Formats: sequence, C-alpha cells, structure tokens
Amino acid sequence: MNKSDGKVIDILLIEDNPGDIRLAQEALTESKINNKLYIVEDGVEAMEFLRNKGKYTDSPRPDLILLDLNLPRKSGREVLKEIKEDKDLKRIPVVVLTVSNAEEDILKCYDNYANCYITKPLDFNQFIKVTQEIEEFWLTIVKLPPK
Amino acid sequence: MKNFIVDNPVSKKPVILKSSSPSPSSGKNLDEDEYQLEETQRATFNILEDFYEEKLRLEDTQRAILNILDDLNQSNEDLKKAHDILETRVTERTADLARSNAELEQFAYIASHDLQEPLRMVSSYVQLLAKRYKGKLDGDADDFIGFAYEGALRMQMLINDLLSYSRVGRHDTRFEEVNLAKALEKAIENLHLTIKEKKAVITFDPLPVVFGDMSQLTQVFQNLIENAIKFKRVDPPTINISARLEGNECICSVKDNGIGIDPEYQGKLFLLFQRLHTRKEYPGTGLGLAICKRIIEQHRGKIWVKSKPGEGSIFYFKIPTKLKESLQ
Repeated sequence: MNKSDGKVIDILLIEDNPGDIRLAQEALTESKINNKLYIVEDGVEAMEFLRNKGKYTDSPRPDLILLDLNLPRKSGREVLKEIKEDKDLKRIPVVVLTVSNAEEDILKCYDNYANCYITKPLDFNQFIKVTQEIEEFWLTIVKLPPK
Repeated sequence: MKNFIVDNPVSKKPVILKSSSPSPSSGKNLDEDEYQLEETQRATFNILEDFYEEKLRLEDTQRAILNILDDLNQSNEDLKKAHDILETRVTERTADLARSNAELEQFAYIASHDLQEPLRMVSSYVQLLAKRYKGKLDGDADDFIGFAYEGALRMQMLINDLLSYSRVGRHDTRFEEVNLAKALEKAIENLHLTIKEKKAVITFDPLPVVFGDMSQLTQVFQNLIENAIKFKRVDPPTINISARLEGNECICSVKDNGIGIDPEYQGKLFLLFQRLHTRKEYPGTGLGLAICKRIIEQHRGKIWVKSKPGEGSIFYFKIPTKLKESLQ
C-alpha cells in the first residue's frame, strides 16, 4: 500500500560512507513508501543540491534530509547550521543520522534546530528497522510543510 | 643557627707580678706575713693557671661545638635542597604520569570508538549476506558466514567493553553521595531479562549511602551480579548483597552459590582480558571484573574475592562513605 497518496517522496541522503549509503538503499527498497533517494557525499555538494547550484540545477527540493555528521569538505554540523539559517530551506526536516554518541554533538545539533538526532545502530537488522521507522514516522505520521 | 656568633677574645695568660726578691726582713713577724702572702699568691696563681687551662679547654670545646653546629647547619641545608629537588621531581613525574594516563585513556577511547565504524560495516554486510544468501550457496558458505558474523559480534562486545573500561576515569566521573541501594536497584533493572530468564533469586540487606559515582557503582553491581548468574552451579542461582560500615568506609559483598573460583586463579581474576573458561563454556570478554576493579580503584577503594570451588563466591568491595580529598 502506498501511504503517501501516490506522490513520490524525495529523500536526500548526505553520507560519504559507501557502506552506509548502500545500507540505507537496502532499507529503503524494502520500504512501503514510494520514495526516491538522492545521494550526495559531502557537505559542499549537499548545499549545491539544496540550492540548485553547480551540477544540481534540476534537483528537487527534498521532503526529508538524512544527514551524517562526519563529512568531507563541509561537515554535517555546518550543513545543518546553513540549512536552518536559510529561510528557504529551514522547514525541511533534517534527521541527523550518525555514529557519534557524544553529548556535545547531540546538544549542538538540537541547538542548531535538527529535527531529530539518531545514533546509527550497530546491528544490521536494527539499522534497517531504524531507517524504515524514520521513513515511516517522517513521511506518513508527521504532517510536513507543503512544498 | 647561622647567626650564632660567639665572641672569642684572645686570652692572655695571666701574669702575676712578683717582687723580684723578698726584701730583707725587718722582723720575724714581717717575714711570716710575707711568707703567708707569697703562699697565697702562689696558690692564687695556681688557681688562675688552672682556670686558664680550663678556659682554653672550654674554648676548644666551644670551637668544636661551633664546628659541629656549622656542619649540622650545612647538612640541614643539603637535606632541604635534596628534599626540594625530590619534591620537584615527584611533582614533575606525577604530572607526566597523569598526562600519559590521560593520553592513554584518550587513545583507548578514540581507538575503540573509531574501530566501531568499520566493524559496523563488516557485521552489517555479513548479516546482509546471511539474510539474502543463507541456504542458497552451499553448507560451507553458510558456515563461513556464520563464523564471520560470530567474530564480528564478539569484536563488537570487546570494543564496547573496552570503551566502558576506558570511560572509567575520564573526566565525566561525578562523585557525590550515592544511595547504594539505588545503584543496586538500577543494576537489577538493567539485568531484569537475564534474571528472569535464569530465574535468579536476588536478595539484599539494607545498604548505606556512600560517596561515589552512581553510574559506575551501578556498573559494578551489574557486572558482579551478571557474573554470579553466568557462573551458576545450581538452580536457582541465588545472590545476596549486603554491606557493613567500617569507620568512613563501606564494605559491600555480593555472595553467590555458583561454581566458585579455583584459588590458583583468584589473584588473576581482575586482570584485563583474563578469562578462566573457554568461550564455549562461558562467553565473555574478560573485561567485566577489570572494569569493576578500575571503578573501585577510582573510588580509592579495594575489591577482592573469597571463594570455594563448588560452593560459591563472595566478591567484596570497599569504598568511602565520605568525601576523600583525593577524589576531587
């Protein structure tokens, strides 16, 4: 059953670890939600994607952003801050998905208006479950701002 | 002592003035008087000479004492200098040790934290392999995937334990008044699945308030109780926790009716990675008791065990009930 009324949900995954990218893809292919996953591998590209700059002039505005914190060039922390300080982007929900368990990271992300902070589960099945739950929650339960 | 100044005048030998020769006596009485006088004079002279000798001796003694005092003064100063040097060295050495300790802890923390990342990849993809291809390749392939997965899981356990080991003693330790009963309650709560599964019976006597870190003491109880259940001998495993006060210290005991520990190995029990059983018999990383020891030592306390194989073990730990200066 398609819970998103036939609309394709666009998800932007900002992640540089190919292993994690693939895991997210695996999790999302099993998903019941009709989604399209876009992937950028560093912070600079992420901002270009969101602002339709560089090679991303045609990129859609994502419904949900999954953001890793440790990224090359521009870190996930900077990306989060830029998104939330940009009046055109700040309404897009940002889910921070990282290995860091550090209190400092958690606080800083919420200070910068992250919509939620999730530590990547170590166990594969948990990871799949969490990814699907993120999707389920943000894309079917939460009322998102209109595009 | 330094300004002990003694006046040391040059003494002159007393000189007695005598008439060159007795004048011709004018009468017997006069002669006798003169003779008496001379006698007295001689006696006085002798006494004076004795005094003089005595004075010289005293002066010698005085000089000797002064020398000794000087020497003592010098030794005292040398001692003070040596003491100062030693103190500086001890301070430096302590700072060095503290620094290298902190670096080591930082290293262990970062190493175990960063190791988790690639390991997560290994275990995730082995799990994905298992999920997708189990039974579709051949028996060997399933076995190999199984071993790889077991290995990854074990490593994850090790890294987690190493992380908690290295976390003990990091600056986020908070020492305050802790109700030991609360710490135990929390530990039992954390273990409730294991306790339920193994039908363990846990009893405890009133426990005092101690001075320590709540989460660390919870961890000590948790590790000790977990061990007591893991190494059970009969059903149900029975564990009793009690405590007594001794001055400003609390001695807490965790007693079980488990398999007990061979006396030969009791000394090694608290060492890092020390295991007494094969993984097949009893799984574990060999870090549980090492973590307990490190935590108790953080509290400036002591942990030890009394055990008889085939009867059970009692683990004791002693921690302060009041703030010790050295803890803050």
